[in-house]
Parts: sequence; structure tokens; C-alpha cells
Amino acid sequence: MADNILEVKKLKISFRTNNGTVKAIRDISFELKRGETLAIVGESGSGKSVTSKAILGISAGNAIIDSGEILYDGKDLLKLTEEEMCKIRGDKISMIFQDPLSALNPIVKIGPQIIEALILKNKASRKTARKEFNQKLEVLKQNMYESFNSDQKATIDDLIQAYDNFSIKSLEIETDYNQSHAEATEIISKLEDFLFRASKHQSLNVADYAKTFLNNFKKVTNGFLINNYLDRIATSKAALLELSKTDKDNDELTEEQLEKLNELESLLLEITNQEKPDFLSVAFYMYSNKDADLSKNYNHDTKQMLAEYLQTNFLAKFLSFVEKALINSHNKSIILKQEVLSCLDALKQYFKAGNIDKKEAIEKVSIAGDLVLKSIDQLDVFKDSLAYTFKDSIIANVKSYFYSAKSNVKEAERFEKQTAKYEALVSKGKHIDWKVVPAKIVDLNDLVENIISKIERLEANYIKEIENKDDFSSFDSSLALIEYFKKKASEVVYKVTKAIAKEQAIKLMEEVGISEPRLRYKQYPFEFSGGMRQRIVIAIALASNPDVLICDEPTTALDVTIQSQILELINKLKKERNLSVIFITHDLGVVANMADRIAVMYAGKIVEYGTSEEVFYSPAHPYTWALLSSMPDLKTTEKLDAIPGTPPNMIYPPVGDAFAARNKYAMKIDFEEQPPLFKITDTHYAATWLLHPDAPKVEMPKIIKDRIERMKQEGGSEDGR
Amino acid sequence: MEDREVLLKVENLCQYFRMGKHVNRAVDNVSFEIYRGEVFGLVGESGCGKTTTGRSIIKLYDVTSGDVYFKGRRICAGVQRYKDAISAAKKQAKEQINKLNEDSKANPDNKSYNDSKIAEIKQELSETIATNKRLIAECNYDQKHCDKLYAKDLVEKLNKNYENKEKDDEYYHYLKLAKKAKLVTQIQMIFQDPIASLNPRMTVQEIIAEGLIIKGITDKKYIQEKVYEILELVGLVKEHATRYPHEFSGGQRQRIGIARAIIMQPDMIIADEPVSALDVSIQAQVINLLNELREKLGLTILFIAHDLSVVKYFSDRIGVMYYGKLVELASSDELFAHPLHPYTRALLSAIPLPDPIYEKKRVRKIYNPIAEHDYRTDKPSFREISPNHFVYCNDQEEKNYKEQL
Repeated sequence: MADNILEVKKLKISFRTNNGTVKAIRDISFELKRGETLAIVGESGSGKSVTSKAILGISAGNAIIDSGEILYDGKDLLKLTEEEMCKIRGDKISMIFQDPLSALNPIVKIGPQIIEALILKNKASRKTARKEFNQKLEVLKQNMYESFNSDQKATIDDLIQAYDNFSIKSLEIETDYNQSHAEATEIISKLEDFLFRASKHQSLNVADYAKTFLNNFKKVTNGFLINNYLDRIATSKAALLELSKTDKDNDELTEEQLEKLNELESLLLEITNQEKPDFLSVAFYMYSNKDADLSKNYNHDTKQMLAEYLQTNFLAKFLSFVEKALINSHNKSIILKQEVLSCLDALKQYFKAGNIDKKEAIEKVSIAGDLVLKSIDQLDVFKDSLAYTFKDSIIANVKSYFYSAKSNVKEAERFEKQTAKYEALVSKGKHIDWKVVPAKIVDLNDLVENIISKIERLEANYIKEIENKDDFSSFDSSLALIEYFKKKASEVVYKVTKAIAKEQAIKLMEEVGISEPRLRYKQYPFEFSGGMRQRIVIAIALASNPDVLICDEPTTALDVTIQSQILELINKLKKERNLSVIFITHDLGVVANMADRIAVMYAGKIVEYGTSEEVFYSPAHPYTWALLSSMPDLKTTEKLDAIPGTPPNMIYPPVGDAFAARNKYAMKIDFEEQPPLFKITDTHYAATWLLHPDAPKVEMPKIIKDRIERMKQEGGSEDGR
Repeated sequence: MEDREVLLKVENLCQYFRMGKHVNRAVDNVSFEIYRGEVFGLVGESGCGKTTTGRSIIKLYDVTSGDVYFKGRRICAGVQRYKDAISAAKKQAKEQINKLNEDSKANPDNKSYNDSKIAEIKQELSETIATNKRLIAECNYDQKHCDKLYAKDLVEKLNKNYENKEKDDEYYHYLKLAKKAKLVTQIQMIFQDPIASLNPRMTVQEIIAEGLIIKGITDKKYIQEKVYEILELVGLVKEHATRYPHEFSGGQRQRIGIARAIIMQPDMIIADEPVSALDVSIQAQVINLLNELREKLGLTILFIAHDLSVVKYFSDRIGVMYYGKLVELASSDELFAHPLHPYTRALLSAIPLPDPIYEKKRVRKIYNPIAEHDYRTDKPSFREISPNHFVYCNDQEEKNYKEQL
């Protein structure tokens, strides 16, 4: 299940308004795979944006989440507190908003807006990272104990302690190095600016400039950067000191001074272009040989020597131990999972049998939930969201079952009373200006069904895992685990100062295609054009390196040329950073370029769901037909097939298919019952009664059929015109 | 095409906006003609001056320079060019006079001859100034009084018709209408944003009838009937007349905007991005409606949009604008089959289509005006490359384009 990064399950959202409850989203489920683009298409008011906002936990104040789950990284996003949500929002999942102008703060320069997230997130994440790092290491240690004899215990302790110590130490050195590096680059950019102005004979305050250079230079302290250049640095500093004492009125540079400054620039360039040391090996050497100073005379040879030292003295052994531990943990979890299966089966039978007792049910469910939690392979880096959230969600479901059972009785009583009163008044011939509110009876069988289906889903997962237990590759997982430790360790020591954040922001701005980022860094949002503003919004969204990017109509406010630029940019970034993208739009043309899979939404439901080829070349739902035929392409000459009418009022959602009233092909059953999702191929589903085996065969409208045929013939060989 | 009646003619239209010292040339020297009954599309990226052109034509701005003729009558006229001509003439004269003065200082013998020459130049200058001032006055008069002139004409025509007849009530009714008739109201505009362009405090009835009331119609029953008729025409029902704009969906609001425009029985409609703010499905409804109305009422439409597939579908001829200049003008099939100007090509290559295979292969061309053109010595102008296909280019490019065709 690790290939699904985000799963939305049976989500229902409604909004309380003055006129009644608007059912904005009615039971949608979809999953987002790692590294793919899922497009959600639909008219305005179909619930696209509501879904995306629910994922980020920024729904409007009057939103009620009736039911459902949004699973991400072993958590149910709908059940998290605001503080926990803050750690995910922007950091793991971030969003590009529709209107770039209103998404930016107009009175703050764009530089600070980009680095804001970097600095804020950093503070919050360091503590939790340390905690997670320690936890995982502890689990690893326990597993090592179990898989080796007790006489190895001391070795294991040594290994773990060493790893804990030097892996974090190495990143500390690296951060220090990076900071000094950033300062040095800062001086270079300032110096370049200064020399450029000097060459144009602009009036300069030489002394002030020299002072700032000196100040910055003092912060370049890392030994690995400067130790090889100490003499030259001393002379340069002396020259700068001399410059800073020059007369303030004299702002012309002499030849000699200019030469010195040029020398300084070349020195700094040399310093910053040095080969980056391998800090892991350095830290390990420093750990095993205390008080060793490696920064002097560090060069390519030492680097290789240190790497070998690390490999022979530590890594080889450590990796073999880790692999053993992983196998141990995996086997353990498989055995536990087999136990869980029988328990789940019993639970299922219990719910199927009916006559559920509240106390007993909750007890049973929580026992099963605990077992499930225990059976999870603790060393697996990718979290199986279903298992992690099983206990909480199933207990919530059982509770809601009993609550509904209670409230059903109450509702029925109230309804009876009210009807009696109403009828009594009517029989007296009084004028009544109120109506009997119909009883809200929740179908209990549905709820039980829900619980059972949840259990079955988990069962299916587990059965699959047990069948494939031999596919487990301990080597791959150990690499993944080491990577995980590295990431967490970097989060622990990663201090973002303003200088580092600025360098990162400038790099990011370059990446999204903003020219002269150093200059732009200090400008206000209003100084940018629409396309540039959208790029800045994208840069902000990417600032803290998210896994999932939600684009809520990112190009609707832009014109064609800018639109295609932005789309290309999003595609490029997606490939480079391995992002998973949810792309929301109402323009099918835009989607064709971007999406791997497409979900078509109408009136709060997903009506068609498939890969982009399937949806464009063999659409099945009448609504998709209507959408496709209502947009002209370059060869359309006949009258457009507009969709008559408007979307239904979601305060009173229609009983049957929501699209039936606007559908040319609607049958009687469309007005009576909601169609389920019919399966067309393994990846292609559509919710329309037309796909039912008993339904009359209906061809898609001629206009799309012709177009699809034409597209297939051309096969994109021409340039489409 | 030549024998078709030219309904609107735009000649060298310039619209500048002053931003402090800097002058923003929103529309720069744009000329085109729109024939009766056709749809003329104007495309370009945002900020290229499409909307400004539309608004200048309907006199929402005072044009800086150039003329707009509607039904053969000048409705807009800018005076900047004459002012420029005056200042240029003054400058030239001053230079000449200075030269002659210096000459006479150096050679006192020539003084009398030079003085006579100076007098001549001064005479000439005052003449030029006088003609230009006259032209400016004419422009200002046309700009202000085109409606009155039109009304005067109508009244004359009416009188001619009734020369030999008895002047009955009907005559006075028509006379009243003719006196109040306005030429510019025969061009109507549909605005981009249907939410912002409708007054939220007026009912639909009031919004639609406002134009009629301003026109001087007082018969309430007639107005009511007319409003209902128009509502039906645009696909709404009578009951909608008493509602407020916020009670409608986007597509319906745009229909109200259209109803408000066509109740004036215009000959021409300027549709400024009427579908950009709408959903795809609603877009089709509005485009179909405009198409129907065009056939029923014989409308001429200036269609401004940036969505090229819609423009292609809807328009007979298309003009492409880039930074205030019209760079290419051709019939829509011709433009899409043989785009010549590099900007047009860049624009066409950016159109997204609902076709995944094509989309994965589509390569966007990038237009870089500095790299594409060399206009340092060879100045560009708007030239006809093939019949009815105009491109903004210089001599060298003209040759290249002709070879390409």
C-alpha cells in the first residue's frame, strides 16, 4: 500500500447556512499515488475546492465533516488537532491558490514571504524530529537484541550509540559549514555589486562598504572552508581594514585598492568552490579519535581515506546488523498479522450476526485495534495508513452506530408527536404556518456495512502482504531506513538562519523561472505581472519541500501563453522533486497536458474516474460527454452542445442521479436511484446507469465521437492544426 | 468582401495613459474595419490593449489620437496628432529663424533678405497652426456633438418624409424620438465580469429597462413588454424580472448583461471577454446564445477574448494584438492555417486541447520580440501580405512572409 501517498475515503462534507444544510460533498473516495498527477475536473460548485481545502484542514467555519477519512502518512487528517495539522500543512502538503494577487501579502516584500515558512517550520519540526529519531533507533536496537545472541549485546550498544552520536554530529558540522558558505557567497554578491558600481563611477561610500564586508567576513569561521587559505585571508582582512579607515568624502577607488578588492573576490570564489567534505566520515573519525582536528590539510586524499575508514570500521558491520534486525522485525510482524487475521474474522462475524451490545462491541473492537497496531512492522519506513488509523476510526464508527441507534428512536418519537399535534390542529380547522419536519432516520445497516467493509479492506491488505512475504528485500529496506535516519537527523540539526533561508529562497526563485532573483527578492507583489506572481506563489508552496502539491485552478486567472508557461513549470518541478500533484480545474484542455488520472466531479460526487487517455478517448458518463462537447476546439464548426440548465441546489440534493435533470440520456431510474460506480476497466469507473447490463445501448454524441476519431487518426502527428 | 458595407472603421487609433512622466501607450496606431454582420475577434495576452480598444470605440475613454467612424460618421477623434504637428512646426520654424538671425549677425548685408525670409516663415507657421487648430476644433466638435448631428439628420429626414403629408400624432411621436436619438447607443457593450457589471441594488427589470428610460421612453407598459420580450430572447423567463442579480448563477447573470445590451436594438455589440469568467458548460450556453442573437437580429460583434479556441469558433475575422499594436489581421481560417507573425505562432502553440497524446507532444514556441525583429533601420508598418491578410512587418520580413505563403 506504500504506493498511495494520500487516500480519501468516503468523505462527506456539508455546510450549514441560513437556508439549510448544503451537502457539498457526498461520499467521494480516491487515492493519490506517489509521483502522479490526479486531476479533479468539474463545474464551479461541484465541490472540487472543498475537497482540497478539507485535505489541508482549512475548510470554512461553517463546514461540517459528516463522515470519512483522509489518510496520509499513517494519520487521519480529519481527526488531527490544529497543532498537528500545522506541522503537515505547508510542510508536507501545500497548495497553490487560484488568485495569485489575493494569495500574496501586498505590504510585505516577496523575499520575506518566501522564507517565512522555512523559518517557522524549522522551529516546530526540530523537537519532533529528535523524538522520532530516538524512537526508531530504540526499536532498531530492540530488534537487534532479538536477532543476535546476548553476548553481542555490548557490540550492539556500541554501534547504536556511535551511530546516534556521530550521525547527528556530522550534520552539525555540515550546517556550520553551510552557514559559513552562505556568508561567503553573500560577500561575493555584495562585492560584485560594489565593483559594478565602481566601474560605472557611481558615488560610493567606500568605508561603509568595507565595514560590512569585514563584518560578514568575521562570520566565515568554518575550518574546512578557511584553514587552507589563512594567510591570504589575513592579508585581505588587513586590506579591508585599511579601506574602512579611508576618508568618508573620498569615494574614488585607487588602482591599488581595486586590485586588492579583485584579489579578495578571486579568493572568495576559490574558497566557495572547494570540494565539499564528506561530513559523515569526518564525524566518525572525530568520534573514534577524540580531539582530532581534520580541518587542517583536508583534501581529496584525506576524504577518500576517511571514507574507507568509515566503511571498514563501522558501516559494513552496522549494515549487516540492520539487515538482520529488519528481517527479524518483518517476520515478527507477519506472524502477528496472521494472528490478527483470525481475530478480525471473528470480529466480522460478530458484526454480521447482528444484535450488537455496546460494551461488548467496543471492548472487542479495541482489543482487535490494539492487535492491529502491534502487528505493524515498526521498522517499515512507509506507513500503512489503514492499519495505523484502524483502531481510532473503527471505534468512532461503532460509537456513531450506537449514537444513531439512540437518536433514531428519539427522532421517531419527535416525529410522531409533531404529526399528532399537527393533525389535531388541522382537525380543529386552524390555520397552521409550520410544517412537520420529517424524521432523520439513519440507516443502521449502512453503518454496520461500513464497519464490515473497513475490516475487510484491512483483511485484504494483510492477506496480500502475507502471500508476498518472501518478496521482502532486507537490503532495500535497510537503505530506506538509513535514508530515513539521515532525513530525521538533518531535521534535528537543521537550523535555518535568515542568511541560509535567503540563499535557499533565491535558489528556489531561480528554479521557478524568476530572472534576477537577488533584485526581485526585495520587491513588492504589485511590481510583478500575473504570471510572475503565480510563480512566486508556487515558490512559496515549494519552500519547505512538500510531498503533495494541491493546485487549485492555478491558471484560471491567467491568459493562454502565461498559462502554458505555468503548466510547464509545474510539470518540470513535479519531475525534479518527485511531487504528487492534485490538480483542480474546470478546463479539460489544461488537464490533458498534466494529468495521469482524472476524476470528474459533479454535485459533490465523482461521476467518472480513469486514466487521462481513458477519460478523453472513451468517456462513459453523459456529464463527461457534455463537458467535452461544450468546449469548441479549433475545428468545431457546428453548434455547440451546451449543457442546459444549471447545477442542482445542493440544499435539496436530488434523490437519483444528480445530473439526470440536465441529461439528454436520462432514464426513469436516474430520477429514482443513485447509480453506483460501474467498472469499465481496472482503472476506469463511471457512475451512470447506462453502464448497467440492462440499460439500452447509448452512443456518445456525434460531435465528440468525430473529434475522438480525428484525434486518434492524427495521433498528434501533425501539430494539431 | 469589398462590396460589403463597412460598419465601423478604426483609423490610427491611439490611446495613451499618463502615469506621471511616463506615458503608457495602451493602444498604438491600430487600424481595422468591421463589416456589417460579421464577428470580428480581437485576441492577445492580458494587458495588450484589447479591452482598451473596445472601450475607446464606445467612448468610455477620450481617445488620444486617431478616428473612429461608425456608419460613416466620425464618433471619436483624437487631437494629439494635430497638437504634435503644431509643436513640430513651431520647433522647425524656430530653428530656421535662429539660423537666419545668426546669419544676419554675421553678415549684416543679408539682413534685409533674411528678415523677409523670417516673415515668410512666420506667415507659414501661423497658417499651419491655424489649419491644425481648425482641425482640432472639428475633432472636438465631432467628439462632443456626433449624437446631436445624427439626431439633426434624422429630424431632417423625417421632415422630408412628411413634407406633403399632414403632421399627425405619429409624426410628433417620431419627432420626439428622433430628437433624442443617439448614435453611440447603437454600439453596446457586454462586460467581462457579470458579477461586477450589474448593480446589486437594482432588479433585473430596472437594469434592463434603464437604457430605454434614458432614451426617453416613458410608456411603462411598453417598457414592461419589451423587457419580457428580451428576457425570453436571451433564455430567461418573465418571473426573473423582479429578482436581484445575486439570485442568479454566473451564466444567467451574463444573460442579463446581454439582455441589457440588446434591448437598445444596437447594430453592433462589443463583447469584452463575455465568457472568460464562466465555467466551460456555461460558456457554451452563452456562445450559442450570442450566435443565435446574431442571426436573429443581424448583429455585428467585436469579440474580445484570450481563449483562442472560442475565438476561432465564433469569429469570421481575427486581429491579434501585442503590446498595443495590431500585429496580424486575417480571416479566422486563414490565420489558423497560415499564421505569419511570430507572436501569432507563439499564441497558437499555447492552446491546450482535450487530447492527451497531442498534448504530450505539443511544444510551446516562445516569442521574444528583441530576438525576432530587427527594426533599427527598417521601420515596420501594417502591410497586406496576401488578400485580406495583414501583418505588422518591415520590408525584409514582408519578403520572407510572402515566400512562406
